[in-house]
Amino acid sequence: MNKGMVLEKSKLSYWLRQLRKEMSLIGPMRGENSDIVFKTVENIHEIVLDCPASIPSPKEFLFPQKEKMFRYSKDGVENLRGNKGRLIFGVRSCDISAITLLDRFYGGKFVDDYYMSRRNNTIFISIGCNNPDITCFCIGLGSGPFLSSGFDIQLSDLGDRYLVEIGSKHGLEIIKDFIHLFSRPKKLDYDDQYEAILSSQARFEKRINLENARQKILSGQVNDSFWEVVAQRCFECGGCVYECPLCTCFNVIDRPYSPTDGVRLRVWDTCLFKGFTKMAGNIWPAEKKIMRTKRWYFHKLIYYPEQFGKFGCVGCGRCTITCPGRIDMATIASKIDMGDRRRKGGGG
Amino acid sequence: MNKIPTICPYCGCGCGLYLHVEDGNLTGVSPIRSHPVNKGTLCVKGWNSFEFIQHHERLKYPLIKVNGEFKRASWGEAIALIASKLTGIKRSYRPDSIAIMSSAKCTNEENYLMMKFARAVIGTNNIDHCARLCHSSTVGGLAETFGSGAMTNSISEIVSAKVLFVIGSNTTEQHPMIGMHMLDAVNRGAILIVADPRKTQISDFAHIHLRHRCGTDVVLLDSIMNVIINEGFVDIPFIRRRTENFDAFEKVILRYPPDVAEKITGVSSQDIKKAARIYAIEKRAMLFYSMGITQHITGVDNVHACANLCMLTAHIGQPMTGLNPLRGQNNVQGACDMGALPDVYSGYQKVSESDIKKKFEHLWRRRLPSRPGLTLTEMFDSILDGKIKAMYIMGENPLMSDPDVSHVKEALKKLEFLVVQDIFMSETAEFAHVVLPAATFAEKDGTFTNTERRVQKIRQAIEPVGESMPDWKIICALSKKMGYNMEYRATHEIMEEVALITPSYRGILHHRLDSNFGLQWPCHDLNHQGTPFLHRKKFTKGLGTFIPVDYIPPAEETDKRFPFLLTTGRIYFRYHTATMCQRTSTLEREYPECYAEINPKDADSLGIKGNSMMRVSSRRGSIIVRAQVTDKVPEGTIFIPFHFREASANLLTNPAVDPSAKIPEYKVCAVKIELVESKRDQKD
Ligand code: SF4
Ligand code: SF4
Ligand code: SF4
Repeated sequence: MNKGMVLEKSKLSYWLRQLRKEMSLIGPMRGENSDIVFKTVENIHEIVLDCPASIPSPKEFLFPQKEKMFRYSKDGVENLRGNKGRLIFGVRSCDISAITLLDRFYGGKFVDDYYMSRRNNTIFISIGCNNPDITCFCIGLGSGPFLSSGFDIQLSDLGDRYLVEIGSKHGLEIIKDFIHLFSRPKKLDYDDQYEAILSSQARFEKRINLENARQKILSGQVNDSFWEVVAQRCFECGGCVYECPLCTCFNVIDRPYSPTDGVRLRVWDTCLFKGFTKMAGNIWPAEKKIMRTKRWYFHKLIYYPEQFGKFGCVGCGRCTITCPGRIDMATIASKIDMGDRRRKGGGG
Repeated sequence: MNKIPTICPYCGCGCGLYLHVEDGNLTGVSPIRSHPVNKGTLCVKGWNSFEFIQHHERLKYPLIKVNGEFKRASWGEAIALIASKLTGIKRSYRPDSIAIMSSAKCTNEENYLMMKFARAVIGTNNIDHCARLCHSSTVGGLAETFGSGAMTNSISEIVSAKVLFVIGSNTTEQHPMIGMHMLDAVNRGAILIVADPRKTQISDFAHIHLRHRCGTDVVLLDSIMNVIINEGFVDIPFIRRRTENFDAFEKVILRYPPDVAEKITGVSSQDIKKAARIYAIEKRAMLFYSMGITQHITGVDNVHACANLCMLTAHIGQPMTGLNPLRGQNNVQGACDMGALPDVYSGYQKVSESDIKKKFEHLWRRRLPSRPGLTLTEMFDSILDGKIKAMYIMGENPLMSDPDVSHVKEALKKLEFLVVQDIFMSETAEFAHVVLPAATFAEKDGTFTNTERRVQKIRQAIEPVGESMPDWKIICALSKKMGYNMEYRATHEIMEEVALITPSYRGILHHRLDSNFGLQWPCHDLNHQGTPFLHRKKFTKGLGTFIPVDYIPPAEETDKRFPFLLTTGRIYFRYHTATMCQRTSTLEREYPECYAEINPKDADSLGIKGNSMMRVSSRRGSIIVRAQVTDKVPEGTIFIPFHFREASANLLTNPAVDPSAKIPEYKVCAVKIELVESKRDQKD
């Protein structure tokens, strides 16, 4: 699809206001101090677009930390899956890349009804990153800072106007009634977008080569003593999994209000807890921390590529912010990568 | 979908988090990235702190016990019953026959009202809370030496320190986000010294790990000071200008050379010397301690020893240089600050000083008692002695947390009247005559004060579930019924009163706490920006006082019948008596049952394998727990976490208390261990 349009910045709020009549509008807003958080937009002019990465990732809108699945009672079962129409505005490219993968995970062989119901009722307007955060490393992974496909609508900030690219049916839907607000793009607009991409790329602090790390692991150059040191630093907070736009662990729990009725919930879980794989008979297959730490990295660096042809990491940098042990993907992958170069005696 | 900034309800780090709310439902939490303590991180408890709030087992309406069974009651009935009972007991005995337990989980405003209720409405100083069980030795001990019992530095200073000396604190597990700052400091080249009999995560990162025997902290610290004095590392100008009583102190210290200490503590004299030199030479040195220091019959002595060490080397009163007791509960600092203690009003103003009493009498318009009240550990004895007839417990669970719980149970049964105000039906609440449903941190406004003295706002995210009410509203309603008008439209009005009467909180008003994550007390006026570190230029009490401390062995030592030392503590996935995390699926799952850590050598000699069940008995009781064979504990010592209802470690612990702080000795008691043969062989 990928059709382009141009929207003057001054017209953005009018457009969003019209869209808000049909769906609830969620966007990046000021939180405490310098924080940016995604929440329901009360005042459109308070949206903050030029902002650092948000915590947590927008997966919370498709797969909330706590979600009611169904209510059961004598009268039967009532499905409680979320199906509210929502427009999520101002999402980052890496997160769109992650959602594309999540769609394949939850919509693949086994369709996750709860995820899909929310997904089908959610439209994302993403924005290319002119100013990547110091923790971002999507650049080496093709998951940002600007995308060429996979989005519903992608904005590129060109100073006084946005280049608006339409990437899906959903995206087209929210433009077609307001076509009078948009104008046709000229060559200059694409040139300016290219310029923005170039300048953004130059601003990245981090370049992490996950492919090198993967090769090193596959060729057996990373031994357990390395993982031992990594695992030792893990606080078992679960933050890396909770924050990661690509992690999908959950746990299912029942809340019996009475013997005959109750609610089933699912909550985010993490494979980093030993109880995650606990089995009946008091058996803990992954009791040692190193096994769990290693598995998280193996899943993202080895198994994901095998299954989906892509890394289980889009370089959003959230785990770098949220890991109290400083053993986030960027740090560890570059340690794996660099450690080896040092052995060969080469420089950085 | 909204995100309400508030403060984590678990530990004293006081991390900032957002509660996510959608249509009145909590759907998750996320960390506040710009918060100075957690900086975008949370520990597992913080991450899961939303789950228990709307749990179906929450208390939703008041309950009155009729013929041994709880019956639903209206607020009107419950309040009227409590008011008439308390008034009756107050009249027919005397005000001092009523005891009140306030709560380190509740807000400052609520603790202030509770102590006002105790003193002005009931007319007794019998008010205390769980700080008695964790840091009363700090509050008392540091008041004598420095004049103020709180962390002297700020958490954000840790990362720039050069030496971190951590004693008796399992920091990464109990104060995870402080642990994070410590590891960051180590990454930046700081030297880490850990003194702890157990191997812990933080000790894995230590450059020096001193594994002294449980209960020998005084000897260890005294011998470190002995080295500092003998090798000439003492900061003489500091001692002359800013301290007193050095000579008496020095005499005692000279009795503890490292080779003597080696015999008592089991730590090599080489290590003692090394630690002493490293700590003394570096200027930016921070000393941290926690329950491993305070929960002993010598808790106050231990605290004095830490304070002495800081003064001896002038490691106090500068940024990144000081003495830092890590407070456990989210608002234990605040509950102490607010005077939920038997001997002081808010801001540690003594009830026994007549000027101060008069000041409060004027403000509250009531005659106030001047004799300090009973401490929490004394309250239960007094019930059995027949001196206490009624008890009002807000948000605490002494039946799990206090030492020798069978004794507590007996006491609770004997009460004529017991009110428990809590969010869940706790073990203690089962014994109550009236149970009142309280609101959680997510359902009310107010402030918490974290361990670095930072007063921070919590904000209401959802309506209270069922008919539950914020504790402060309940106290107001009850007071009114008892003929004392407490009228506040909102919590900021309570804080205004606190500020009016409390010098260290004078500049702390709610509207000033909105930006920059609150203010650190002391904050003397409305323009004061708070105090990141204490004792600059002079100690709060003027001169710092050296208090000589001699070694006193633990109250109970091992013998033939009880050859092992038992030490208790918390584990990372659980919190205190587990009323909240038991209702949090992830936390509950990780450690579903109690266990005991035992050294492989000891296990071998007793024929115990991993996962065997063993019976652990002390002079007071006995429990059965699963063995975890690990070299985390030294030989001759076992460790049991105290959170589990089925195997409550506090059935075993010794209620012996520190003579002045009355803190119980949780960290040492003597036990014996037997293998419990199972009918079928345990499968591994
Ligand atoms: S692994 Fe870390 S950087 Fe990669 S996508 Fe997940 S949170 Fe982002
Ligand atoms: S964020 Fe870091 S410390 Fe927390 S679970 Fe993940 S790896 Fe462990
Ligand atoms: S460190 Fe303490 S305050 Fe922070 S999230 Fe964990 S329990 Fe809460």
